[in-house]
Amino acid sequence: MAISYILLFILSFISISRFLVISKAGAESELVADLLTLQSQSESGVIHLNDRTVSKFITSTKTPRPYSLLIFFDAIPLHDKSDLRLPVLVHDFALVASSFIANHNGSNTKLFFCDLEFRESQSSFKLFDVNSLPNIYLVGPDAESLKDDTDQMEQSGFTRLTESLVEFIESRTQLTVGPIHHSPIISKKQMVLIIGFLLIWSPFAARKIFAGETMFHNPRIWLSGAIFVYFFSVSGAMHIIIRKMPMFLMDREDPNKLIFFYQGTGVQLGLEGFMVGFLYTIVGLLLAVVTHVLVYVKDLKTKRIGMLFSVFVSFWAVKQVIFLDNWKTRYAIHGFWPSRWN
Amino acid sequence: MAAPETSTAAVPTLYTNNTLRNAFGGVLSFFILLLIGVMAFSIRLFSVIKYESVIHEFDPYFNYRVTQFLAKNGIYEFWNWFDDRTWYPLGRVIGGTVYPGLTLTAGTIWWLLNSLNIPLSVETVCVFTAPIFSAFASWATYLLTKEVKGTGAGLTAAALLAMVPSYISRSVAGSYDNEAVAIFALIFTFYLYIKTLNTGSLFYATLNSIAYFYMVCSWGGYTFIINLIPMHVLLCIVTGRFSSRLYIAYAPLVVLGTLLAALVPVVGFNAVMTSEHFASFLVFIIIHVVAFVYYIKGILSPKMFKVAVTLVVSVGLAVCCAVIAVLIALVASSPTKGWSGRSLSLLDPTYASKYIPIIASVSEHQPPTWPSYFMDINVLAFLVPAGIIACFLPLSDASSFVVLYIATSVYFSGVMVRLMLVLAPAACITSGIALSQAFDVFTGSIKFQLTGASSNTEVDAAETSSSTAESQTDAVKTEKPEETAKNRPSRKSKKKEREHGEKPSTEAKAEKKRLLALPLESSVHCVWAAAEAYSAPSIVLTSRSHDGLHVFDDFREAYAWLRHNTDVDDKVASWWDYGYQTTAMANRTVIVDNNTWNNTHIATVGTAMSSPERAAWEIFHSLDVKYVLVVFGGLVGYPSDDINKFLWMVRIGGGVFPHIKEPDYLVSSLC
Repeated sequence: MAISYILLFILSFISISRFLVISKAGAESELVADLLTLQSQSESGVIHLNDRTVSKFITSTKTPRPYSLLIFFDAIPLHDKSDLRLPVLVHDFALVASSFIANHNGSNTKLFFCDLEFRESQSSFKLFDVNSLPNIYLVGPDAESLKDDTDQMEQSGFTRLTESLVEFIESRTQLTVGPIHHSPIISKKQMVLIIGFLLIWSPFAARKIFAGETMFHNPRIWLSGAIFVYFFSVSGAMHIIIRKMPMFLMDREDPNKLIFFYQGTGVQLGLEGFMVGFLYTIVGLLLAVVTHVLVYVKDLKTKRIGMLFSVFVSFWAVKQVIFLDNWKTRYAIHGFWPSRWN
Repeated sequence: MAAPETSTAAVPTLYTNNTLRNAFGGVLSFFILLLIGVMAFSIRLFSVIKYESVIHEFDPYFNYRVTQFLAKNGIYEFWNWFDDRTWYPLGRVIGGTVYPGLTLTAGTIWWLLNSLNIPLSVETVCVFTAPIFSAFASWATYLLTKEVKGTGAGLTAAALLAMVPSYISRSVAGSYDNEAVAIFALIFTFYLYIKTLNTGSLFYATLNSIAYFYMVCSWGGYTFIINLIPMHVLLCIVTGRFSSRLYIAYAPLVVLGTLLAALVPVVGFNAVMTSEHFASFLVFIIIHVVAFVYYIKGILSPKMFKVAVTLVVSVGLAVCCAVIAVLIALVASSPTKGWSGRSLSLLDPTYASKYIPIIASVSEHQPPTWPSYFMDINVLAFLVPAGIIACFLPLSDASSFVVLYIATSVYFSGVMVRLMLVLAPAACITSGIALSQAFDVFTGSIKFQLTGASSNTEVDAAETSSSTAESQTDAVKTEKPEETAKNRPSRKSKKKEREHGEKPSTEAKAEKKRLLALPLESSVHCVWAAAEAYSAPSIVLTSRSHDGLHVFDDFREAYAWLRHNTDVDDKVASWWDYGYQTTAMANRTVIVDNNTWNNTHIATVGTAMSSPERAAWEIFHSLDVKYVLVVFGGLVGYPSDDINKFLWMVRIGGGVFPHIKEPDYLVSSLC
């Protein structure tokens, strides 16, 4: 009798525990299934989490979890700050995510890529104790406390994010990422279309060139092109492009004021360059107008006004450039007679 | 097809007056050119006056050492020289890796002077080579601009080139570098090309190839010529200005030029294998196709010609596509698509900063800001657009070349500040054209007012015929017999010139005064730039304090110490900046020098500089190094010492040896 009670107890214990295990496994597999659905819903395979889903998938689950989560911390208002390069990092993160999923043929359930946005999920940011961006955290299967047990990627890895992310994943989770599939600049379809278009268009173009009827036979086009190239280069636009300088800066003390001119050599702002380039070009253009166009005007008064206008504007422009150059580089030169002549 | 060389004669009654005026003009031009040459030479002598006749910077010391070797051992030894005193233990093949033009030029001058019993030392000849060749360069600019727009423009352009600060910066007395002779070779090659284009003479075409050969010997920038001239030829073809003169100007240059370029050991087979030369071959094929088409067109009747064209175009297109596909596959299979790193960084400006830290670290390769233009070409920056417009009115082959030259050089100078040097001659030519045309108009209108003649177009024609004679002959030379439609606009503009529009004389005088103010301001600026900004020899430093002028000769003292206190065979390790100076002045073997051809070797030295003493000693011991040279500027405030360059040592070392990581050398800041 006692044995049967014991047997019953043992059986019930086993069945209950098995039920618990199955339900836990069931709960777990349900979570994994949810994660897989969320992943398939997003375009690049990056799951967008918020406070509720963070608690569902991370804080309310029991360790060991059957999956790890790699979380990218983002903040939309900071996308404008060029030195953080957040849009580039978001793109690179999505690239690694999609390559990872593609390389595992969608059968991966061990690692999921997620992101968290600051304005929606401030409490999650506090849970992870994240104060600065950019930041990537790996939540392992055994991580209990989100502040201490999670792996943070080093800040130096953000300069070449794809390579450092692959290295980070492979070293911490022992999962291989595989080759990164960069999306080509021009897809195959577009390439076929472009080649087809070129083949059809080329005989017509050749005929036009031989006949001398194209737009490029008009010298004025080349003239404006040459002057534009000159204006573009002389305003330091290549410097702006290579260094990614902003067009203007916000004044730190007074948020309503904009700074257009930067004092100091070696650096220039966008609009500053274009304004000075315009000043450089306008003097030459006015001189050309006076030399070649005004000469043939019949009316004396128009000629006088034109010449006076060009004299004053050119004089002002040159003076302005000299003043700006002296202000910016803090160098000013002046002529002088030799001291012995005085 | 050759155009007549004689100038159109003026009205017969004024014949004697004209010859006298022409003669007087010729003599005056000669004396002006002489003065321009003297000015070009003397404005570059500030550093010799302020310091001494010493060679500047770092690279010139290598050239000086090579010239010394050439002077001592002769040309055959120089051609086959293997230098075992640099890049220890690798050595360097000097004969095959150096552009010999500068060295051979200075060596020839030295030998010539010595054989005339004028015993100048090699150092003196090296120091003064650059000013002499800048005088030659301004004369070449005169010749080039004279071919484009006439004598007045030529003289103005020559005067501007003698003074332009960006050219002064690379050719002061003591700056014994490739650009000193290369800019002269560049302008002279362009002059001969334009001359061939204007005259259609095979003699000038051959001279052009020889001048191009001299340019290839002198500077790696010759790729600019061999890409600009094909671009211009293509432009002429596309805009319908093909003529036999164009063919004579281009085809011999490609054939003879490539053959001669392949003779230079540095270039060798690169002349036919690298992508930088492909443009010239492509245009060579195109110009032959176009010439053939024109020949066929001349033979067939118009209807037959149309049939032939459709047939050929459809067949030729298919063949063309196949060839291009093969070419693209070939080029795409190489990692840099066949271009060298430096050329690639011109096409994709962000390339260097991403992939090649050594190129990105050089301060000369940074993109310039707008003050650099004001500093380097000063007033010319304002005048260039006027010159571009003047080149279009009327447009000839030569003036379209000038426009192409200025557009490409201004774009490339925007990418790399070092290329402002190539912009300088173009800016001088266009500004010279602009200024001379403007002065023509204003002087003419003032003269018109003074003589009181109202509508005497005949007198005007005679007065202006001497100055417009040159431009008229140029216009005659550029006529295309077949394309009569093009001739009409140019004839119209000639008629307009004779009408000679009138300008109110007071405003003309005011305009002239304003225009004169520009060159005055420019000369003040140029002399200041030459004296203060560009005359520092870098090997001698000065500073002014309350108790006068201090001169720091630390570099030369250090090298002299090495020379006198160490064995001849001792090896000295330092950062690559000081390699050339150490071999030239201290006469000791170095590990790395400014040639930077072996990145791994430099990274080894960089790793040694970034490691703790034990690890560094191991590395240096494996290289047999006995002395390490380190520059510290903290005591006098010298800003470009080795501490300033230290992060670059870390970066370059870390690029090859992964245990050197840049964040280890930075203090983490939590702000």
